[in-house]
Amino acid sequence: MSADVTALASRPADPPASAARRPRWGRRLANGAGIVTLLYLILYALYGLWDRGAFSAYAFTNLVNNAAPLAIAAAGETLVVLSRGFDLSVAGVMSLTNVVMATYPMEGPQGALLSLLMCMAIGGVVGCVNGAAVAYLRLQSIAATLGTMIICRGLSLVILDAPGGTVTDFVSNTLTDQLFGVIPVSGLIVAALAGLWGLVRRTDFGVALYTVGTDETAAALSGVSVARTRFLAFVGAGLVYGVAGFMLTAQTATGNPNGGNPFLMLTFAAVALGGTSLSGGRGGMIGSIVGAATLMLLQKVLFSGGVSSFYTGIFQGVVLVVAIVFSRALSRLLDGRRR
Amino acid sequence: MTDRPSRVAATEAQRDARGIAPLRPEAIAAVATFVLSVVLILASRFVSPALGSWDQAATVVVLASFLIVVAFGQGLVILIGGLDLSVASLVTLGAVLATTWIGSSNDGAIYLLPAILIVCGLIGAASGIGVTLLGVPPFIMTMATGIIVGSVALGYTSGTPRGGAPGILIALMKDDWAGVQILIVFVVLFAVLAAILQGSTSFGRKLYAIGASARAAHVAGVSVTRMTILAYAMSAVSAGLAGLMLAGYSDGATLRMGDSYLLPSIAAVVVGGSSILGGTGSFAATVGGAVLLTTLGTVIAALGIGEGWRTVIEGSIILIALLLLRESTFAGLKRLLGR
Repeated sequence: MSADVTALASRPADPPASAARRPRWGRRLANGAGIVTLLYLILYALYGLWDRGAFSAYAFTNLVNNAAPLAIAAAGETLVVLSRGFDLSVAGVMSLTNVVMATYPMEGPQGALLSLLMCMAIGGVVGCVNGAAVAYLRLQSIAATLGTMIICRGLSLVILDAPGGTVTDFVSNTLTDQLFGVIPVSGLIVAALAGLWGLVRRTDFGVALYTVGTDETAAALSGVSVARTRFLAFVGAGLVYGVAGFMLTAQTATGNPNGGNPFLMLTFAAVALGGTSLSGGRGGMIGSIVGAATLMLLQKVLFSGGVSSFYTGIFQGVVLVVAIVFSRALSRLLDGRRR
Repeated sequence: MTDRPSRVAATEAQRDARGIAPLRPEAIAAVATFVLSVVLILASRFVSPALGSWDQAATVVVLASFLIVVAFGQGLVILIGGLDLSVASLVTLGAVLATTWIGSSNDGAIYLLPAILIVCGLIGAASGIGVTLLGVPPFIMTMATGIIVGSVALGYTSGTPRGGAPGILIALMKDDWAGVQILIVFVVLFAVLAAILQGSTSFGRKLYAIGASARAAHVAGVSVTRMTILAYAMSAVSAGLAGLMLAGYSDGATLRMGDSYLLPSIAAVVVGGSSILGGTGSFAATVGGAVLLTTLGTVIAALGIGEGWRTVIEGSIILIALLLLRESTFAGLKRLLGR
């Protein structure tokens, strides 16, 4: 009996030595970006099998360019989802920034930088409205951001009522080009965002974000300002959506008042595929970015595999569900083994 | 997502609130949305003399009928704390199947129309099984179902749905019966039956229990899994029914038919004062929300302003409605009424 007691008592202090080491990489594989990265590599291999040119720098750059807007949008959405919320305004902000850029083109690198700042300012303002509505006025996040999304959609139509406008050469060419002929520029921007996230998640705000998403009451009791954390999550997300709209403009090289609409569903699909829990507190940006890349790669693979474009939706839906079921099963398995 | 206003509810509960059931927030929300709609219809006389008539009210009911039917199913799923993103595809599927299986003739409509609803119900049940047995988040599961069903509808019709709607559906949507439009009678009947089903049957009360706390409902002997699957099936059947109605209304089907009902169906439920987290709300209030949104749509359309500003106003209305219909507003109202 005394042995039982010591075993019980020592268990909480014990893990660092044996129990934690193996599950730690295992858990990372199961919960975070691990599974989706694996899925990405498998899909890439399939793509290579069906399309000889898949491993060229050109094909890779194309893939990265295609995925960049969605990846950045999903990265922004992750902030809100981690804090246990939903932000539908992502589609509206992307449309709005897209038409603003196409309506007020600014030449050269400085112009592009100015455009980027403008996009982020727009996203930031929308984020402030969302944050204030959800964190301080305590509106339901889906409903409040539905409102702001529709308003942004309307403003986009006011600014540009039909697809058109002009995008400067610097934005449409240089930002979708390769650096030293190998590294895609859009990939660098996504990588910079991922790096920034690596820093942010170690700050007080980053820790608070996870705490609020996991258990709001506990977070409040331990001195975290829940409202402020939520507010900042929405503002941060808005800023990142601005960048996503900027990259969307670079990729499509045109303005479209409805350009952001397809991103609404895809963004959440990417976040979930990347292993972030939609009920908050678990996951991260890296997973969402790889999730977005996987969704875009899947379309390419299905196309090169000769699947009729009518039926690509079936595969997307099935992959989404299977990936999530699989990652849940695996994480439960690893949790069980640890116990 | 804001936390459930449990603390407010708890302090309210300490006082004996049993005697003042008529002042429940749901009841106020339902009445408020209807009163607002009537005021809007009357006030729209100032916009254009053609408006504000009984005819306009009838038109609003006809236009709102689709939304009311879709929002019923959406409301059931939201009631248990879920969300159904597949309704758009199922509306489309209902319309597409009506025009392809039955077509313009009435041949076999008697058993084919129920068959279409059963197909929709089975698809909804599949979503429910994914949510309950596989543990996929509702947001993702219904999104995946929606993508898959949309893709199947696209492939099944090779991109262009052909054929007209069965005569029986056209009659339902267009014909009069002793001077009253059959559709209006149908919608009122549907709303009454649906309100009874949600509010007063054991089926409905069990859904409320699950929405308040799935664990507590389970302990109390509610079969949570079965009820959840049923709720998703009901939502899909409602969406399919709305699809049949739309097919009859426009004598045909298009593949984008359901798209304009997804977000409004959520908005109608939320504007009606239900919590997106489940467990609260009434169908009468949802009907009020649907009527209010449709009235706004027709009044704004009559203002003769561009689509952009119209959309901006619609979004602002949602935000304003949310602000006005907040729990704290009701609490303030109650205090004002001196309870």
